[in-house]
Amino acid sequence: MTLAVEAERLVKRYGGRGGVVEAVRGVDLHVDAGEVFGFLGPNGAGKSTTVKMLTTLMSITSGSARVAGVDVAADPDAARRRIGVALQEAGLDPRQTGRELLVLQARLFGSSRAQAVERAQELLELVDLVEAADRRIKGYSGGMMRRLDLASALVHEPEVLFLDEPTTGLDPASRLTVWDELRRINGRGTTIFLTTQYLEEADQLCDRLAIIDGGRIVREGTPGELKSQLQERRGLTAEPTLDEVFLDATGRTRERLAGEVQEVQA
Amino acid sequence: MSQVWVLGQRALREALRTPDALLPTLFIPLFFLVVNVGQAAKIFPSGSTPFLEGQNYAAFQLPSSLLLAASFGTAALYLVEEIEGGYFDKLRAAPVSRTAIVLGRLFAEAAKSVTITTVMVLLALPFGISIASGPLGFLLLIVLTAAWAVVFAGFMQLIALKTRSAAATNSGGLVFFPLLFLTPSFVPRDLLTRPMEIAASFNPVTYIMEALRSLILEDFAWAPLGRGFAVVAVLGTVMVALNIRMIRSYD
Repeated sequence: MTLAVEAERLVKRYGGRGGVVEAVRGVDLHVDAGEVFGFLGPNGAGKSTTVKMLTTLMSITSGSARVAGVDVAADPDAARRRIGVALQEAGLDPRQTGRELLVLQARLFGSSRAQAVERAQELLELVDLVEAADRRIKGYSGGMMRRLDLASALVHEPEVLFLDEPTTGLDPASRLTVWDELRRINGRGTTIFLTTQYLEEADQLCDRLAIIDGGRIVREGTPGELKSQLQERRGLTAEPTLDEVFLDATGRTRERLAGEVQEVQA
Repeated sequence: MSQVWVLGQRALREALRTPDALLPTLFIPLFFLVVNVGQAAKIFPSGSTPFLEGQNYAAFQLPSSLLLAASFGTAALYLVEEIEGGYFDKLRAAPVSRTAIVLGRLFAEAAKSVTITTVMVLLALPFGISIASGPLGFLLLIVLTAAWAVVFAGFMQLIALKTRSAAATNSGGLVFFPLLFLTPSFVPRDLLTRPMEIAASFNPVTYIMEALRSLILEDFAWAPLGRGFAVVAVLGTVMVALNIRMIRSYD
């Protein structure tokens, strides 16, 4: 199986006023092409930092990362042509219309004006934003912004799509719409690397997942494998939930996590 | 180049869709022009003030207002918004030349400055100001002012990229006021006190102001023009180079 994402001993250190902070401490990741891979962890665990390194947005202190077969540090532009990125904050320009934003994004990926206009229309249809396409983005709802952000990450038909908490702040209906779109995108063969704090989301969408805590991967496997491992280790009669796997992996209790991890039932 | 063009067009649309930010760049400099002329015009009557070259004092003051209009650096504030809102990362995650990200905004800043300078000069003409160097001089006046707008926007973008803070970027822009007042803005350099003359001589804005003034008051005076264009060329090159360096190492 071809690897869509491959990270070896990935490290990120920041120099700050309080000294050196090691946000990511030797992460190894192997994501197969075509997978939906979930990357979970509490706040500050190193999820977003890892994603930023994999998407060329942040320098790598040590270790290596290849995405879609390209070394992200050695040839960042080649990596950028193969990946789509939708980060935690919907990265949109509120003064443009949805259509203008998608046309611009397509042109930045090398499309001609005519191709960009055509691609923008396809994507607006895909994410059901045709009616709002010529309105300024600042008037969009949170769900519409997320869908547009997703569309803008797809203009060049990326091989790997990185989504950093794509449903944070969305109401349950919008969340389900985004899930449906992710399944559809993955169905077309795009690998999805998804970070989320919503364990229900990971359980519903991900083929495999990794849990990061304190900058290190502490669990990795399919949701079923991780639950079975915990059930066996603890001698539980019923299959544990992914929430329990997460709490066990991160050494946290529900009390300690209050305010740190949000859990939702869709 | 096409990336600079599409990013520049976007930055221009952004400016046009934010008239609340654009209009003060026209009205505040005009306000200063009216106030400064109102305060000092009687001291320098046209007929007995040799340095006015037969024009009125407003013609002497116009370059200060043009430079002020070109020194708002709003592009940098949009950049901070973009950084805070995540769109900047979206651009960085695309295979876009880092140079194009910098030049796109600066291109838009130059285009805005061309428009504002033209409007200001056209508004000034009915008040007895003329461009002594003619249509070509008018063109050079616009080009030089727009080039300064690029230099100053580049400076503000550096602060924006370094601090990622709207407050710090805004405060950084205020550096223009001491620079403007340390120039021969009210009288020619040789009429300043000695300490002020020395300070003005070290101030790059002085040479741009003198070049603009020469275009308004005299026929082509190549020495001040050469100095003015040389200053913006050097500062522009330095600012663009520093911006590109900063954006390339942006983490």
